[in-house]
Amino acid sequence: MIVDAIKAVECRPLSLLAELTYRCNLQCPYCYNPLDLGSYARELDVETWARVLDEAAAMGIVHVHFSGGEPTLRPRELCALVSHARSKELYTNLITQGTFLTDALLDELLSAGLDHVQISVQAAHAALADYIAGTRVHEKKAEVLRRVASRDVALTLNCVLHRHNIDEVADIIAFAETIGVKRLELANTQFYGWAFKNRFAIVPSRAQVERARTTIDLARERLRGRMEITHVLADYYELFPKPCMNGWARQFLTVAPDGRVFPCPAAAAITSLHFDAVTDASLEWIWSHSEAFNAYRGTSWMPEPCRSCARREVDWGGCRCQAFLLTGDAAVTDPACSLSPRRDAIEALRVEDEHPAVDPRENGFVPRRFQRQPVP
Amino acid sequence: MNSATPALARGCRFRRSANSAGTLLVPEGVVELNSSASAIVELIDGKRTVEEITLELSERTALDLQSMSSDVQTLLQRLAAKCWLVVGDKAALP
Repeated sequence: MIVDAIKAVECRPLSLLAELTYRCNLQCPYCYNPLDLGSYARELDVETWARVLDEAAAMGIVHVHFSGGEPTLRPRELCALVSHARSKELYTNLITQGTFLTDALLDELLSAGLDHVQISVQAAHAALADYIAGTRVHEKKAEVLRRVASRDVALTLNCVLHRHNIDEVADIIAFAETIGVKRLELANTQFYGWAFKNRFAIVPSRAQVERARTTIDLARERLRGRMEITHVLADYYELFPKPCMNGWARQFLTVAPDGRVFPCPAAAAITSLHFDAVTDASLEWIWSHSEAFNAYRGTSWMPEPCRSCARREVDWGGCRCQAFLLTGDAAVTDPACSLSPRRDAIEALRVEDEHPAVDPRENGFVPRRFQRQPVP
Repeated sequence: MNSATPALARGCRFRRSANSAGTLLVPEGVVELNSSASAIVELIDGKRTVEEITLELSERTALDLQSMSSDVQTLLQRLAAKCWLVVGDKAALP
């Protein structure tokens, strides 16, 4: 009886990612945000966001993740929306890089009822972390992390792994232990947005990925019951693709700063689809009836080899955005699958041998920045 | 060994559903509990001891004490392994 007591809920909208803004003072080259950041300058107002939260609660959504960009760049709206979400019994999560989390803002967020904070670091040590972030922030983040860890709110430390920091994953775990976090998310870079643009400069080698896997598995065992470590795998070195978003439009919604609604945070890249906005339709209508949400929902859209595959309701065909970015067609099997006829597209990204031993600073990537808008 | 006083960890909240079951809201996750698990989780408040939770549920459900104790311990251990539980200082988690 108890053995079956804990199971994940499936097949209904559970989670809403609320991207309040794409503005950010960091320039991380692995950011999944779209490249055309400047075209999201007009941001939804707080009244519209409150209506979106009302609609989300009515649909049975449970979690709201406030993210961006950097959501604390809209502190007044953020506090108001956390409070509003809690009044609708929603679970509230703040995903932040932390540099603006003053004690005053924390006080306000906690009295608004914030349940959980996820703070990211770029590496374990300042020199590399600041190089990746494109600005001096690591010491500040470490100080913020220590303050948040002492407060009455759940804290997750997140670090995105890539070629330049994955070899120091043991140091990142040690850093998390020093801070005293209960949850650590070690996420291999997923190649969308800026990360896709920078893919050849930041992709780790297979040997790096395997070494990190061993280190993380051992740490997990050692820290069991004290710290939960989530390891997001590098799908381009796996045999099967990730079940992206647990299937297109099955559990997740993202509302972008301009109000458009996506089944996943990277889907704006699929230029062959039209995505509706909360300013034009209700969240419920978009979830149930919009063309984009129904395009790849379930299994009936699947081509071979997915259609007849025993794993079709395990992998859900992998990731539609990755299929589009790598092949130009969102409706084909994710090339990360070893059965995909287009697996050559992933193999071209892999680094099978060790990277040549050079200073990472010599492998330039393009920092995430707002493009200067051309003067008309 | 049953004098421990478990509490849900920060960021974990029990939410009762329309039926007798409930959900445990955890950081970045939703855990659907059946009615037996819900009954246990609902009594986890940082004040009741494991023994008190077991006794109360055993009386309420007419399940014998030994089976109830085993159910409670199993669930608590699973919650603790996921870091969703903190245990008061009277004793270590059974």
